[in-house]
Amino acid sequence: MNPQRRTIDSSLADALLTRPETGHYDYSPVAMMPDVKVIKIGGQSILDRGRAAVFPILDELVAVKDQYPLLLCTGGGTRARHIYAMASDLELPTGVLAALGGYVPRQNARMVQMLLAKHGGLYIMNDDFEKLPLYFRLGCIPIMTGMPPFGYWEKAGESGRIPANRTDAGVFLTAEVLGAKRALFIKDEDGLFETDPKKNPQAAHIPRITAQELIDRNLDDLVVERVVIQYLLQARFCHEIQIVNGLVPGMITRALAGEDVGTVITKS
Amino acid sequence: MSELVKGDGRTHITSPLMRESLVDRRVIAKTHSDREVQIMPDVLLVGIGGQSIFDRGRAALLPLVEELAAARGTQNIVIGVGGGTRVRHTVSIAYDLGLPLGGIAQLVGAMEEANAVFLNALLARHGSMVMPREHFWELPLYLESKMMPITISIPPYHFWEPPAGDSPLPTHGSDFGLFQYAEVLGMERIIFVKDEDGLYDRDPKRHADARFIPAITLDALLADLPQELILDRMLFEAWRFARHVKQVQIINGLVPGMLTRALAGEPVGTVITKEAA
Repeated sequence: MNPQRRTIDSSLADALLTRPETGHYDYSPVAMMPDVKVIKIGGQSILDRGRAAVFPILDELVAVKDQYPLLLCTGGGTRARHIYAMASDLELPTGVLAALGGYVPRQNARMVQMLLAKHGGLYIMNDDFEKLPLYFRLGCIPIMTGMPPFGYWEKAGESGRIPANRTDAGVFLTAEVLGAKRALFIKDEDGLFETDPKKNPQAAHIPRITAQELIDRNLDDLVVERVVIQYLLQARFCHEIQIVNGLVPGMITRALAGEDVGTVITKS
Repeated sequence: MSELVKGDGRTHITSPLMRESLVDRRVIAKTHSDREVQIMPDVLLVGIGGQSIFDRGRAALLPLVEELAAARGTQNIVIGVGGGTRVRHTVSIAYDLGLPLGGIAQLVGAMEEANAVFLNALLARHGSMVMPREHFWELPLYLESKMMPITISIPPYHFWEPPAGDSPLPTHGSDFGLFQYAEVLGMERIIFVKDEDGLYDRDPKRHADARFIPAITLDALLADLPQELILDRMLFEAWRFARHVKQVQIINGLVPGMLTRALAGEPVGTVITKEAA
């Protein structure tokens, strides 16, 4: 006779949690802070360009900071690439790359904080997430890494060792958990193209596309991390991502005002 | 590898990934190699079930403590603990309240912490310690001093748990978390201590005629994954592309001596292997 389980009665007390089935649940999650504008500032695309690119973008963001709660998230860039290249050369596991790749976006977030300090820029860690309501109430602009906190728990991919969940994924998941409908990615291209426009200037621009259409096209390269497209299909709140060219003055302002500039990728 | 390169408006550091799109499949493939460093290959990970063991109290736990204490020093062991019924209650309340999936994922780890302390309270005099989940780089010190570190299992996905459509259940659960812990450190074996003899084609608690599976390969299991699984589905999905974990063993911790035999390498319970034996 086995010793008895001392269970707490609940709707899931006897449920199998190992293999969730879709269609079983009447799950209506509440949006925590749907008005927050979750914005990624690209690493290689923006921050590695220095003052010439960064200052005008921050000016645009500061100009609208009292209109919308802004949560800025930073990408990594060339130093993260250097870490990934070194770690790949040393044949280290993907989880180690993900953990080490986290340092660079945090540095970048600190850089942006220093520039925005006089406007209420506040560097926050993942653990400060629950204090966001306070920061917004105070009129601050919280700035955090775009990297999700998976670190060593990042799964190995089928090919290579580059972590699949990097700063694009983290920004999308941030918007999703806050209940924001759209996440904004500031990059140095006008959005999505058929091929990399840096390598093929003739590449055709794609202004609007669904996640499924994008998957069906099976492009070798994409302007956002591939997992973001998968997440978009499963998302409950964040049903659109918008990619704009931060090097073109006014684009960020227009995007925040709801204009479909750049590329919009939709859930359906 | 430290020169700065300018000229396109950005400042790059020379590296094989400089200027490259990390989304480009051809670039990603270039970072592939058949080998990967095994950081701590000689460590065995033992996961102790929450609902299956801890929730049964001293009658289930004390014999396992004795077996773990006896094994101490014979091999390097890290112990992971599950959360059990308190996790289920947490999720059921959070589901009813309509908390977002990431919020539910953020909550559950706290319920495992108590089980880590429970186990450590019983095992400390034999040389155990509660270890913060991420403190990997201190493991050589702990293991060199013959300590048995105890860690929670849930992975730190927190608010950033990926969405799962209409399901309120985070897909990156404790079994997956422990698997990934072993994999990233290059460990080759994981033993899950549960309250069933191992893997069945259906849940043996619900179906008296469930068929026991003593040994199976990952490929064979994935080809016909049981609807009712004793371990997280995500574990098996992650294992497909994993490099190091060779064997996942599931044993019945309520049967005296099973853990000792599994620790000694005996194929008791169910043995799932990455490749055909």
